[in-house]
Amino acid sequence: MAEPKRSRRSFLNYVLGGGLLGWIGSVIYPVASYLRPPAEAGGDVASVKWGPEGDFRPGTSAIVKFGRKPVLLVRLEDGEFRALSATCTHLDCTVQFRSDQRDIWCACHNGVYDLRGQNVSGPPPRPLGPYAVNIVDGDVVIARLEA
Amino acid sequence: MSRKPFGVLLAWLALVVAGPVAAQDIPETLQNDQCIACHSDVGYLPDGLLLAGPHMRAELSCAGCHGGDNTTDDEEIAHAGTFRGVPDAASIPAFCGRCHSDLGFMRSYSPSASTDQVANYYTSVHGQKLRTGDTHVAQCASCHTAHAVLPASDARSSVHPMNVPALCNGCHGDAETMADYGIRTTQYRDYVGSVHGQALLEREDLGAPACNDCHGNHGAQPPGIESIEHVCGMCHVNNADYFSATGMARAFADEQLHACEECHGIHDVRKTFDAMVSTGDDSVCTTCHEEGDDGYAAADSMYAQLSALVAAQDSALAVTERVREIGMDDIEIGFLLRDAHESTIQARTLVHTFDPSRTAEATTVGLEKANEAIRIGHEEIGDFRFRRFGFGIATLLITILTIALFFKIREVERS
Repeated sequence: MAEPKRSRRSFLNYVLGGGLLGWIGSVIYPVASYLRPPAEAGGDVASVKWGPEGDFRPGTSAIVKFGRKPVLLVRLEDGEFRALSATCTHLDCTVQFRSDQRDIWCACHNGVYDLRGQNVSGPPPRPLGPYAVNIVDGDVVIARLEA
Repeated sequence: MSRKPFGVLLAWLALVVAGPVAAQDIPETLQNDQCIACHSDVGYLPDGLLLAGPHMRAELSCAGCHGGDNTTDDEEIAHAGTFRGVPDAASIPAFCGRCHSDLGFMRSYSPSASTDQVANYYTSVHGQKLRTGDTHVAQCASCHTAHAVLPASDARSSVHPMNVPALCNGCHGDAETMADYGIRTTQYRDYVGSVHGQALLEREDLGAPACNDCHGNHGAQPPGIESIEHVCGMCHVNNADYFSATGMARAFADEQLHACEECHGIHDVRKTFDAMVSTGDDSVCTTCHEEGDDGYAAADSMYAQLSALVAAQDSALAVTERVREIGMDDIEIGFLLRDAHESTIQARTLVHTFDPSRTAEATTVGLEKANEAIRIGHEEIGDFRFRRFGFGIATLLITILTIALFFKIREVERS
């Protein structure tokens, strides 16, 4: 009768050890997943860092994902940064900076905005919304403007 | 004063200001104005006189337009000298133009104001007919009113964009008035139901065109065959550019067809939809093209491309909706959907090239974006299922561990 008892104890130890390992894994996996940063910023963000100021050449632009919305970040020839909503106010296409024309252009219907986002020609009915651009510790940071 | 414009004017005046002007309503700057003082006393101020209008605010007073001396209460002296009285319809453009065509004078009040209104007016059908002695046509006061003149940017103005369609309809919607000119009267009704009318009058989108945006303001002329494409092209730039470079544009010109309006209508321009370029019942292509010709095949091909893209977008939207419901990350999918939407818009514009290979440039990109959105969406849904499965496994493990612990404790107590 001693053999079955030993066998049951051994089985119980295996179950306990396996269960403990599984429990540790089920705790560690979500913790590790939480600590790994997501590929995108959350949906409702107040500011987004683009990167080092020195990496942004004058006369160029970038589309920055600001939460769920694209923002057009432009660096003018004189070094000044401007950030505007990249969503055309006509039919929600994404606008682009034209350095040769010094304007902002929507390819869908040829809508044109000036570099302050004012609708100049074509079908856009309203200006592009502005965002704030700050240099924080050498990085370009786009922020929502306070209402 | 012409019949109908005068009727519109009276109706507008009644809307702007109800009832006669009370003496206590007279602004301080006009308290010593003898025109207003005497005409108020005898109850002879014009109906609808807007004392807060730009003319009165500039202290031009009645005498600024009608002449005379506004500093004396002597009627004979006041109505002598420069007094011009009430102008007849034929002389109203010159009456207003005395100041508004004088660059030097206007600079004293409104430096940025243009001074070519009267010159432009006489290029219009209205002005040309007035010159021939037809006083039924619109002149300055017909649209701007006589005594409630406000800038077009003022929402109360008779010529504010929101008010222009009804203003023009005051004459152009009247069958009796238009009978003399052989002009139909359905324009306003057509316009109100159009995509332009709904945008302006229902959504209050001031970027949408009113009558004057296509026909001109003071130089109002109906757009001709040679200009209609450019009139529409003022806003629909790409569509007009693409169209004007096609063989279709040349064929339309040869056939004396009106470019845009042949497919989109005139005042009743409806919201476009993809089946307009199909070969089905709603097609505008099959008005001219028959099965077997190139245009028919092009329409069939472009519609197939657009339909495939829209179907892919719909599928991507359905997957995105599911991703949102289960609380997974839909940000990247959202950006891809924006790109797909943009490609759809570009393809719909490229339809005006009537070249399926051009529309395919946009639809191919759009399909790639929509399919990528679907792929990421399915990955997110798969990740959600994995997490749920993992939660179930973890719960099971904890349960087994608890039971095993219970038995282990009991075994330790027994031994």
